[in-house]
Amino acid sequence: MRGEKRLLAAIVAVIAIIAIVAAILLLYYKPPAPAPTVKLRVIGPWAGKEAEYFMTVLEEYKKINPNVEFEYIIMRAEDLAKVLPLNFEAKTTPADVIITPWGWFIAEMAAKGHVVELTGYINKDDYVAGILDPVTVDGKIYAGPFTMWLKPGFWYRKSFFEKYGLSEPKTWDEFKALLDKIKGISGIKNPIVTGDGVGWPVGDVAEHFIITFAGPQAQLDLIEGKVKFTDPQIRSVFENYLVPLIKNRYFSEPIEWTTAIELWWKGEYGLYFMGTWIAGMVEDANDIAFFPLPGCKGVVGGTDYVFIPKYTPNKDIALEFVKWLITEGQVVHASTPAGKIPTWVKAAPEKLWAPMQDVFRKVKELGLSILPDLDDAIGGDWQILFWDQMKLLWVEPDRLDEILNTLTTQHPKIKGG
Amino acid sequence: MYLSKRIRPIFFLLFPFTLIIMFVIYPIVATVYYSFYDKNTGSLNFNNYMDVISSTNPLYMLVSRTLTRTPPWGALVHNLVWVLVHVPLTIFLGLILAFLLKYYVKGSTLVKTIIFLGMVVPPVVGGLIIRFMFDEVVGIFPAIFSFIGIEALSKTWTNYPQTALFALILGSLWIWLGFSVTVFSAALESIPKSHIDAARVFGASMRHIFLKVIVPQLKPAIMIVTVMTVLWDMKIFDIVYASTGGGPGGSTSVLALVMYSYFARALDYYKSATVAVILTLIITPFIILTIRWLKD
Repeated sequence: MRGEKRLLAAIVAVIAIIAIVAAILLLYYKPPAPAPTVKLRVIGPWAGKEAEYFMTVLEEYKKINPNVEFEYIIMRAEDLAKVLPLNFEAKTTPADVIITPWGWFIAEMAAKGHVVELTGYINKDDYVAGILDPVTVDGKIYAGPFTMWLKPGFWYRKSFFEKYGLSEPKTWDEFKALLDKIKGISGIKNPIVTGDGVGWPVGDVAEHFIITFAGPQAQLDLIEGKVKFTDPQIRSVFENYLVPLIKNRYFSEPIEWTTAIELWWKGEYGLYFMGTWIAGMVEDANDIAFFPLPGCKGVVGGTDYVFIPKYTPNKDIALEFVKWLITEGQVVHASTPAGKIPTWVKAAPEKLWAPMQDVFRKVKELGLSILPDLDDAIGGDWQILFWDQMKLLWVEPDRLDEILNTLTTQHPKIKGG
Repeated sequence: MYLSKRIRPIFFLLFPFTLIIMFVIYPIVATVYYSFYDKNTGSLNFNNYMDVISSTNPLYMLVSRTLTRTPPWGALVHNLVWVLVHVPLTIFLGLILAFLLKYYVKGSTLVKTIIFLGMVVPPVVGGLIIRFMFDEVVGIFPAIFSFIGIEALSKTWTNYPQTALFALILGSLWIWLGFSVTVFSAALESIPKSHIDAARVFGASMRHIFLKVIVPQLKPAIMIVTVMTVLWDMKIFDIVYASTGGGPGGSTSVLALVMYSYFARALDYYKSATVAVILTLIITPFIILTIRWLKD
């Protein structure tokens, strides 16, 4: 009986002690506060459907970092290049993370000390060779590459080709014959629709002709200023191949490039030279295919670079986001119909959006080497001039010599000696 | 607190003068100073002026060295073409419309409001509208010319050097016409009805009344519209920037766009200041003219 009483007393004592300890803990213990929500402002070049695909990437990041919110601001590279220098001079930034395809611009801003260095966060070997060169200044990396686009050739609708018994050309003569066949189809305005905007789509066509008929090395030499636009090698590309097509109205006059997609899709034009992102902008990506000009051995490829301005108040959170964006984020983006492939070599190819797997396979089969974009690589004022002069060529092909001369004399590496 | 009569005006003027010095005088002096500043040597010389005037880049060229029948002629010449075409059209159409609306159209307030819409639209939006107005696919002008069978004008005007500059000038006419119609309408109200009635009694036709009675009495308004339109044309920027960016081949570039391009694209603030000074020197006679006229 006494033993039972002692046991009962001991149990009561233990319960009392536990209750007291719990009360003390409740009084003094403070659970860790939830991480505060931070809003990151992200500027990117995508609008419409392209922006929707990028929003998928942001949503995915929010799932693993619920304390981060995003405000996405659309700004084209050419607008960004006008606005940002002024902001940076005033030691402010309109966003915490900025994405632009213009590596030269980031390098220029980095050289002036406006950009956060990312050298310690990026392993060069994990990315496509050479992709970091445009954003490397004095051996320091200032931006990470996001997904990559290619400008592989002329896109066509498979159903259109099937309907009219057309096939991909294997020689230049076959290409011209194809254009003639398309020209003869009722309802066709021109065989090839020309995209316009600020002028880059026409510049892309010219680059493709240069790579095909003067060779991939000519593209690299033009960038370096080792070869001039007025050199016979380059001039002949324009004179013998591009200008005759323009003069014979195989190309349409420049039409706003997204409107051009709609008109091409409706069947008013047969072919459209555009980047791989076109796959994500059409109603049925399985109905489109591309072919480069016969004999072409190179394809222009480029990426959107992600960088952090020095003046962001959210540097650490922005860094974490960028680290994810240029690795796992690429995988998410490439799995959407954005028409992009990862520059991160660790990304699993099978996660690529199916139509892009076909594009990638064809580029490999044709043995096309990936080359830098001519005007993106030269950059600066010359880029705008190049687009403008190419637009001029499209409507005034007889001014070829004047145009080539202007592009040569204004080339920064030739102009500056 | 008592302030003596001599101190009192100085006290009240101190604050506005400080603001004027900070935000008007200093920027003007600094701009002129920078226009002579050579960033390579750190000295003051005319190199910026030489470079700006001798630039052969079609997007920066002030005056073309080769004389061609169609643009590009250089930004400065384009501004002058703008003045030569736009000013007379603005005056002429403004006068005619104001006259017709006052004497021949019932419910003219509604029409005036519609005309004035162009003035309300932000110039950048106006530039985009102009671009669409002259677009082959969606534009009204190419559609009209296509309908009447003029092939040369049924394409996208802003794509071609021959038509791009004139597309912008005609488009800006729509934007600026609201101003001239409003000024002329207000001036018409000040003409006594008895003058018109007297002319009618003496058998004058409406054409004679317009030319001999109304136009002479509208001279002050015409002067105002002329000067304001010239100033607007010389510093035109937004419309060009939004519609063509100065292209194709530099055929629509204007002084203000060149100034902006040096500033925000080339980040060469000194050459930008140089263009600003050149632009100011060209505009100054018109400003002096206006001030003198207002004094009179």
